[in-house]
Amino acid sequence: MTRADKILIVAIMILSAGLIVPLLNHVPQASQAVVTVSDQEVMRIDLSKDGKYSVDGKLGKVYIQVKDGQIRVTQENSPRHICSQQGYVSDPNTPIVCLPNETVITIESDEQSNEDTVIQ
Amino acid sequence: MTVRKSVTLSFLMAVGIILQLLESLLPVAAIVPGYKIGFANIASLMALQMYDRKSMWIVGLGRIFLSALLQGTLFSVAFWLSLSGGLAALATMSLAVQTKWFSIFGISVAGAAANSAGQVLAITWIYQQYFMQLYLPVLLALSIVSGLLIALFVQLILRRIHYETRI
Repeated sequence: MTRADKILIVAIMILSAGLIVPLLNHVPQASQAVVTVSDQEVMRIDLSKDGKYSVDGKLGKVYIQVKDGQIRVTQENSPRHICSQQGYVSDPNTPIVCLPNETVITIESDEQSNEDTVIQ
Repeated sequence: MTVRKSVTLSFLMAVGIILQLLESLLPVAAIVPGYKIGFANIASLMALQMYDRKSMWIVGLGRIFLSALLQGTLFSVAFWLSLSGGLAALATMSLAVQTKWFSIFGISVAGAAANSAGQVLAITWIYQQYFMQLYLPVLLALSIVSGLLIALFVQLILRRIHYETRI
């Protein structure tokens, strides 16, 4: 065993340990949020990336924010602001509904949610 | 290439084929899926130690093609994975020899690690899926173990057959 051998082995060890960290963070959560306006799908948002989006609702722009795999409506124009008061949503069974704007945000996910069954 | 050399290389290739076929019977893959110790690499490494890099390529590639032919997996997905891993390993070992920094242990470990990396790349390319990349760190870490093991085997075998005195 030469010195270079040991360096190589240690380098591969460090590499394999180092590769685990970014790869585990990048596990595809496969969850997407679907935004529909007037029953028409207008946007698909990847929940693994933080960001801000806006769609055109019936009463004006609806501003959407994604953070840490959760989604919420930050600002919209409606009489009672129910959907922006709802806050962050991450459960596929909980949609954000903004009825005056006819805007619905639902999360689609491959993962099982906590509820066993949902009757719709 | 002398007759003696070509016969020796043929024997090494045959040993590699047998080792690869026998290894598929070992249940190592049941413990860590996708992991093989890679005993077949003993043949390539021995060719490298006894002759030169060209001999290693002949034994390595011949072993991959012929064992795939014998297993009936020629040009199947398993064959392409084997070939890509083998090519990566052979190329890396050639480079490692060229630098003259490494002993047989370093060469073997480098080859084993390149084999894992090449196979994961091929799986990613064939299936267009990224799940195997999550597995690469585990395979890399295990390839250190298998690389050292193979190098140890080769060293022991070469010592026992006293190859320097015969050639």
